[in-house]
Amino acid sequence: MLNNIRVMFSRGNDVKYISHLDMMKLFERAFRRSRIPIAYSQGFNPHPQLVFGLPLSVGVTSEAEYADFELDSEIKPEEFMSVLNRYLPEGIKIIKAAQRKTKANIMASIAAARYKVSLVARPVIEIKEIKDSFSKLLERENLFVNKESKRKVIKVDIRPMIYSLEFLEESVEVGDQETLFCLSMLLSAGSVSNLKPELVLNAYNDFSGRNIEIIKIHRTGLFVCNGDRLADPLEDNSFLAL
Amino acid sequence: MSIRISDKILTGVEKPSRYIGNEWNSVHKNLNDVEIRFAFAFPDVYEVGMSHLGMKILYHLLNERKDTFCERVFAPWVDMEAKMRENNIPLFALESHDPVKEFDFVGFTLQYEMSYTNIVNMLDLAGIPLISSLRGETDPFVCAGGPCAYNPEPLADFFDFFIMGEGEEVINDVMEVYLKWKTQENLSRDEFLSSISFIDGVYVPSLYDVTYKNDGTIDSITPKDNYPKTIKKRIIKDLDKVFFPEKIIVPFTGIVHDRIMLELFRGCVRGCRFCQAGFIYRPVRERSAERLLELAGKLEDSTGYEEISLASLSTSDYSSLKALTEGLISEMEPRKVNLALPSLRIDSFSLDLMEKAQKVRKSGLTFAPEAGSQRLRDVINKGVTEDDLLKSVTTAFNGGWSGVKLYFMLGLPTETFEDIEGIAELGRKVADAYYQVPRENRGKGLNITISASSFVPKPFTPFQWEGQDSMEVLTQKQMHLKNIIKSKQIKYNWHDPELSFLEAIFARGDRRLGKVLIKAFGKGCRFDSWGEHFKFDSWMEAFSECDLDPHFYANRKREYDEVFPWDHIDVGVSKEFLRKENEKAYREELTSNCRVSCSGCGAAAYGGGICVE
Repeated sequence: MLNNIRVMFSRGNDVKYISHLDMMKLFERAFRRSRIPIAYSQGFNPHPQLVFGLPLSVGVTSEAEYADFELDSEIKPEEFMSVLNRYLPEGIKIIKAAQRKTKANIMASIAAARYKVSLVARPVIEIKEIKDSFSKLLERENLFVNKESKRKVIKVDIRPMIYSLEFLEESVEVGDQETLFCLSMLLSAGSVSNLKPELVLNAYNDFSGRNIEIIKIHRTGLFVCNGDRLADPLEDNSFLAL
Repeated sequence: MSIRISDKILTGVEKPSRYIGNEWNSVHKNLNDVEIRFAFAFPDVYEVGMSHLGMKILYHLLNERKDTFCERVFAPWVDMEAKMRENNIPLFALESHDPVKEFDFVGFTLQYEMSYTNIVNMLDLAGIPLISSLRGETDPFVCAGGPCAYNPEPLADFFDFFIMGEGEEVINDVMEVYLKWKTQENLSRDEFLSSISFIDGVYVPSLYDVTYKNDGTIDSITPKDNYPKTIKKRIIKDLDKVFFPEKIIVPFTGIVHDRIMLELFRGCVRGCRFCQAGFIYRPVRERSAERLLELAGKLEDSTGYEEISLASLSTSDYSSLKALTEGLISEMEPRKVNLALPSLRIDSFSLDLMEKAQKVRKSGLTFAPEAGSQRLRDVINKGVTEDDLLKSVTTAFNGGWSGVKLYFMLGLPTETFEDIEGIAELGRKVADAYYQVPRENRGKGLNITISASSFVPKPFTPFQWEGQDSMEVLTQKQMHLKNIIKSKQIKYNWHDPELSFLEAIFARGDRRLGKVLIKAFGKGCRFDSWGEHFKFDSWMEAFSECDLDPHFYANRKREYDEVFPWDHIDVGVSKEFLRKENEKAYREELTSNCRVSCSGCGAAAYGGGICVE
């Protein structure tokens, strides 16, 4: 009797340098410690049945990571969550767990990600000016940037991958030498087309001639595609038409 | 005060997880609850240091004490060192991120000579005076242990004290004396060092005077006042009763040995004459299979590791190997935990075991004949014959293996070019053995690797009197071997003789080498065992600026009556025994292993392990 569980978990500051592969290993070891019977694949070299929504880049924190686990026996999601949390290192915490309702695994379903990106502009820039220049950026039909793949650099139009850029008013701090502010970016994500916040900023800097730097990236949401709308991977409600 | 490393620095260095800490099972304590802060320092990068079993044992052992908080410190990699120096960040401990300079003790483990410049570098980064005599009342005590501590003399200037032998008991003895010293007011550092110098296994180098003869050899090593004349190594008699951690730290990022390590026994019954470990860890003492199975279960519960390995000097010699491996496989297979086997003597039992335990392709098996001819193998007391080797590889080829690695040493005492030709010949015979195995039994694609390292004479071995071959001769020998290996199926690897030369200098060096270390450090030498950072020319400049001849240490053959820098250290094996073994080597005579009969090395005085079985 297999049991499919989908979880949402967070990754804090002290554990943000863990690579995706090490993250999988970390969960595998936590399962072994907890004795929760994760299912293993058949074959010569069995591996645990765990699937992560979208790899989180090294250095990025998150409050909304998702993973699907296949278990060999029945456990209530609440119990699963409280047991596994006891065996996860500080900084990694399951926040929600539920039976997986869909057939599609999380990795195949992810369509978008939201990031809170902390930025710094040196020297000081007026907030209005920043806002205006970001609006202008979004008015463009195409935004070509250089994207580095394994062997070559290719030009990609990232404009269609930007769903929204929101300026977070409460985050602004204007100092003597710099302006600190945050943007909330909703970007295309997943195996089909994936846009990282760094590239959006590169496009902005190219376009505006400024040199705004990223201080911190924090993922605040991952979304699956529900028809033509984005939806929370653990809830039924969809919230945004694409 | 805890040091916060900015994201800007961490994102700019390789593998930032090395500097973060907070891994599963790492220990954290409230500083108000502890009396002693101990920084356990490994003079190499995180991934290497974290793989070291001794550190895992002592870290958790010290933390068992309520009054002590032991933390870890590793050598920052060169990129991080540059950022630390640029931003005035001192060396900090991984748990609290507090500067190491604020600790009561900084204890280094000495695993290989080529880590010595990292020690100097780490002390410098910590802001602790490099030289012991320059340290003040607020500085930590800097100590060291581990196999290289048996010849502590090249490091005598840097360390306040050394611990000789297995640390599990003696470190607690030292902590007890420290607590008393700390609570009494107005006691000097020297008073602490003086009182611990009477603990068995503790060596305080500043309490000993060394004088030299005109020819540069040592005239005498004498204790000041009434300090002990010799320092006796400590051992743990019963490995079943001694502390072994039931929790070990599980790192966030891959380390060299990323698995549970079970220590089967200490010491080795074999007595190969070149091998320091075979003498300094005597007598052989085993842990019972029951205890090991118990530990394996507990460690698996606490870590969730996917692999368990067996650690010892010669696992095939473990007397309960069958019971242990059967127990481990039956307990661990359902938990999806692999048993990683070390290189074993190849017979039907071990091949069967490999078949059961290891889910790997039948690629490579490792053999270490060490020398190419029977004559030379008798010289080094390597009790292996050509027949043994060929039988083993034939069994392995019949079992479907097709890859064989053969390890040899060049420059062994009495070696001739004929012995070297024997290496190539042995490679050829192994290839022939493969082709004699029926095609349907053997694996596809024979590949043989012959690796030749350079012999480094070590203290406390029967070859401690020998001169190392010059680098020119070693290179000549390597090239000769390369030229006579004709087969395309044999791959040949060799080691850099420059590194072996330096290793030979420090292995048998004396106190005068301290200033060379400082000079070399000043010239940027560190991570010498990492090929890309090894600066041989800088080392040679350091020697010439200190007016010391490196060949005096590495290449000179010693007289039997020469006083060695380590003569005041007693590892249990007598100099007399080693001398007899040296003479037997020249007569090409074998000495039987401890299990067959006692050869009277002296270690029986410890009254433990195989000597009393």
